[in-house]
Amino acid sequence: MSQDRELSSILDECLECLLLGGETMEDCLARYPERAAELRPLLETALAAKQALNIEPRPQFRTRARSQFHTALQEAEARRGRPLFAWRPRWAAVMASLVLALLITAGGVVAAANNSMPGEFLYPIKLTTEQVLLKLSPSALIKAKLFVKLADRRVAEIIYLAQKGDARQVELVTQRLDDHLTMIASLAAAQRAGGDALWAPSGQLAPETDVLSGGEVYNQADDRAELVALLGYYAVSHPAALSQALETASDSVRVALYQAITISVAGYQRALDAIEQGTGQ
Amino acid sequence: MQDEQELVRRAQQHDQEAFAELYEKYFNKIYRYVIVRVGNQAEAEDMTQKVFLRALRSIASFQWRNIPFAAWLFRIAHNQVVDHLRKRTRQLTVSLDETQTLSSSDPQKTAEHRLDIEWLMLATSKLTAAQREVISLRFAGDLPIAQVAQIMGRSQGAVKALQHSAIVALRKALPGGQNNEPG
Repeated sequence: MSQDRELSSILDECLECLLLGGETMEDCLARYPERAAELRPLLETALAAKQALNIEPRPQFRTRARSQFHTALQEAEARRGRPLFAWRPRWAAVMASLVLALLITAGGVVAAANNSMPGEFLYPIKLTTEQVLLKLSPSALIKAKLFVKLADRRVAEIIYLAQKGDARQVELVTQRLDDHLTMIASLAAAQRAGGDALWAPSGQLAPETDVLSGGEVYNQADDRAELVALLGYYAVSHPAALSQALETASDSVRVALYQAITISVAGYQRALDAIEQGTGQ
Repeated sequence: MQDEQELVRRAQQHDQEAFAELYEKYFNKIYRYVIVRVGNQAEAEDMTQKVFLRALRSIASFQWRNIPFAAWLFRIAHNQVVDHLRKRTRQLTVSLDETQTLSSSDPQKTAEHRLDIEWLMLATSKLTAAQREVISLRFAGDLPIAQVAQIMGRSQGAVKALQHSAIVALRKALPGGQNNEPG
């Protein structure tokens, strides 16, 4: 370990003890007398920064924000009581009802298939159901959100397969994961090229874009924001979950798992870039 | 952590009281994080509110899988800040006239704290974006280094090095800073 890296680690350890552990600076310096001369000014600066950052928001803002937030909570609760497809275009509601009827008819089979894993009897039904749902997505944005959720499924499958030591299946599912993430980027690029305002940056959208169907406004700007938030979250959590699986994986799957990590990192970045490039900046 | 996990689970099941509790717990921290990143009070207020409204919409998708709730929330704030800064063309401004300092009945202490804030905002405006991110997550958000690493998508070692270089840069920005370089 280089001198600098060692000092960075000691500095961090001391900060943890000072900020969270209730130690004094002298306690910490006493543990590293040979580095005390370097550490002291750094710790003094860090503590001064921490002290200065005890900023509190204006009371007026806090009150207004709290009130707005409680209103939003109540609105969210009220929306939960509304019919599921109220905002959708009429044809989409009809199609969704048909799918729902099919799902009810097929009942437990589809439900069981959704929990199945690659190599299991019902897994092909799971994939087919996903394709049907993609075909029925009423907009590119909804389709993109569905792809994000499918990517989450693929990562869970990869971890399951890695635990089983099935490198071949890990590679196959990783390819599907890559396809999902590529599709999100492609959808964003295609929609933008077609001038769809949905893929414009959120700041350029009207707060609410009216794509009326059943008399209710569907806020597409929020949907886009949700897509970006979900992608941003999975961009961190999926590589982290795969990396954790790598720690306990058998040698036979390590290469395939490492490849899955690389693909997930690059794929999410590509998808986020494709969406955000609409800024034109 | 167990308590928070239970709170988040309840919030996901549309328990308004649980979500309100999470809101109160993280409101100041998110505000501090955002104001250090954007350096403007009005923008920080607007963005802080948006972070919580976005979290409200997305909480159903949150899973504990390796990511604590705080890291998830700060990741939303991070995305919001990045998006905002990308669109903003003007330079970072220091506008904290009405921001509250630590509650104190002593006007001298209040004035001193205001000077400290001004020093810090000016100093952080000279840091790189990554250094500013570490300082704001670590000292404004009170997050441990492991969570900062998760949010930034970097290794813990890289974040520790960034934290070190950021503190050195802040030291230099202190009054008489050229003489403050350690070692």
